[in-house]
Amino acid sequence: MAVIEARGLGKVYGGKVAVNDLTFNVQPGSVTGFLGPNGAGKSTTMRLMLGLDHGAGATTFDGKPFTSLVKPMRHVGALLEAKPFHPTRKARNHLRMLAYANDISMNRVDEVLEELGLTAVAKKKPKTFSLGMGQRLGLAAALLGDPHTLILDEPANGLDPQGIQWMRTLLKHLAGQGRSVLVSSHLLSEMALMADQLVVIGRGRMIASGPIADFVKTSSRNSVTVRSPGATELADLLRRDGVEVTGTEPGLLSVVGMNAESVGDVAFENSIRIHELSNRVATLEEAFLEATEAAQEFEAHEISGQPGTGQSGTGQPA
Amino acid sequence: MTDALKYEWMRIRTIRSTWWLTILAIAFGTAMAFLVSWGISESFKSDQGPPARDIKVLAPMIVGHFSGDGAPFFLPFFMAMIGVFAWGHEYRHGMIRATLTALPSRTNAWVAKFLIVGLWVALVTLVTLTVSALLGMMWLRDDGIDFTTYAVAGMIVKATAYSLLFTWAATALTSILRQQAAALVLMLLWPLAIENIITLILNVAPGLDDLAPLTRFFPYNAGDRMLSARDVTGSFFGDPLTPWAGFIVFGGFAALLMAASFALFQKRDA
Repeated sequence: MAVIEARGLGKVYGGKVAVNDLTFNVQPGSVTGFLGPNGAGKSTTMRLMLGLDHGAGATTFDGKPFTSLVKPMRHVGALLEAKPFHPTRKARNHLRMLAYANDISMNRVDEVLEELGLTAVAKKKPKTFSLGMGQRLGLAAALLGDPHTLILDEPANGLDPQGIQWMRTLLKHLAGQGRSVLVSSHLLSEMALMADQLVVIGRGRMIASGPIADFVKTSSRNSVTVRSPGATELADLLRRDGVEVTGTEPGLLSVVGMNAESVGDVAFENSIRIHELSNRVATLEEAFLEATEAAQEFEAHEISGQPGTGQSGTGQPA
Repeated sequence: MTDALKYEWMRIRTIRSTWWLTILAIAFGTAMAFLVSWGISESFKSDQGPPARDIKVLAPMIVGHFSGDGAPFFLPFFMAMIGVFAWGHEYRHGMIRATLTALPSRTNAWVAKFLIVGLWVALVTLVTLTVSALLGMMWLRDDGIDFTTYAVAGMIVKATAYSLLFTWAATALTSILRQQAAALVLMLLWPLAIENIITLILNVAPGLDDLAPLTRFFPYNAGDRMLSARDVTGSFFGDPLTPWAGFIVFGGFAALLMAASFALFQKRDA
C-alpha cells in the first residue's frame, strides 16, 4: 500500500503565493483530513499533487510521481470537481470511458455503480442529477480502478446526512483495508469522526500535521472545569500561579493552563472543597478555528445594523 | 498512447453531438450533390446545358460541392464542430481534470484527441464525398459526365485533406482559447466574414489596393484554392495560388495553431 509523500509544494498565481513549501505524508491505513479556511490552497495543493497544476515541489505515490504511473486510476483515485462529467454522457458511459483507458473491466463499472447506489440511473444523463448524485458519480470514478490511494476534494458536498454517514463509513472501511485516503472537507464535525490524521494549512502554509488527537491537544480551549463553594479563593490561588481562570457562573470555574490533577492538588493543599473536577477537551472545530485564526483569507464581519432597517453601525434613526 | 486513443475513441462515440453533426454533415453533403446533379441533368435535357468549359470539370466540382470555385465548402464546418467540442467540453464541463487523472501524459492526451477527431472527420468526409460521386453518377451518367476519373478521386482526397486541416485548425483554436463559444464564433466568422471583409476593403479603398493581392495568402482564402477543380496556370505562389500552394499556406496555418495549442496545453494548469 502506498505512502503519499508531498515535498516542498508551492504555487504562485500572478505574484500571489497560493501554496508555500508544503511538506507532508499521508500514511496507508489512515484517513488524513486536509483542512484549511476558504482560499487556504487545499484544492491547489491537490491539483499540484496530481500534476494538474504546474508548481514547485514533488509528490510521489509509493515513490512514483503521478504523471509516471501506468494505468493511473488503478493506483490513485481522485475526485476534484463537484460534477466532473459531461452533462449528456450517460453515467455508465462516463465510467466506461475512464475504465477503457485504464484496462478496467466493464464488470467493475457495474460493480461501482451498484456500490455507489447509481445502478438505477446508470443509463441516465447526469444533467438531471442533483449535486449529491453528481458527487456519487465522481466517487464512483475515483473508486473505479480499486486504487490504493484516494484524493478527494470536498467529497461530502451536496450529500444528505445519510450520504455523509455512508461516505464516512466507506472511507474508514477503505482506509481499514490499508489504503491511503486524503480528504478535504469543511465539515469539521464529520472530519472529527472520520480522520485519524490531519494536515492543516492556512494561506498556503503548513499550520499543523499529525494525529488529530495531538492537534486538538494543542488548543488553548482545552480546560479544566471546577465546581467548588470556595471558587473565588481557589481562583485567586490559581491566578497567582499564572493560570488563566474564568468564572462562568457562581461557584464554577474554567481553568486553562493547568491540568485537573494539579488543580486538585492546589485545592487539597488549601483545604478547598471540590464538588466537580473534570477535563473539558476542545472540539476539532475550536482547535481548527484557533489554529487558523490568523490565516483567514476571506473573513466575514459581524453585521452591526438593526435587522430590517437597512442601516449599519450605531447611528440614531432620523 | 493506446490508452489515450481508447479513451478518445470512447469519448467521441458516447457524446450525442458527434452523431448529430455526423448525420447533418452526410445529409447536407449528399443532399447538395443530389439536388445539383439532378438540376444539371435537367439542364442537359433543355436547350441550355452547362457551358462547355464547365463540362470537363463538372464531375469534380459536384463531388467537391463547388467549393474552390466560388461556393463555401460547408461540410468542414459541421466536422470542425466535432473538433471544437472535443476541447470545448473539456473546459466547459471541467472534464479536463478527469481526463488528465485518467491519462496523465499530456502529450498522449493531446495527440489522441487530434488523431481520433481527425480519423472521424476524414472518414465522414470520405463517405460523404464518395456518396456524392455516386449520386452524381446516378443522375449524369447518361449525359456523358464521367465520375470515375483521377480528377474526381483527386477532389475527394483534396476535400478530405481540406476538411481535416479545417477541423484541426478549429480544434487547436478551441484548445488555445479554452472557450467553446468563442471558438465556434471565430470558426464561422473568420472564413465566412473576416477574410472577405478585409479583402473587400483592400479592393475598394483607394491607396490600399496594392495590398489586395496579398489576401490570397489569408489562410481560408488559400485553403479554398486547394479545392479548385480548374487547371491553374501561372507561378506556384502566384495569383491565384496553385492548389499545392493553397495546401502549403492553409496546412502551415493549421500546423501553427496546432503547435501553439500543444505548447500551451503542456504549459498551462489544467
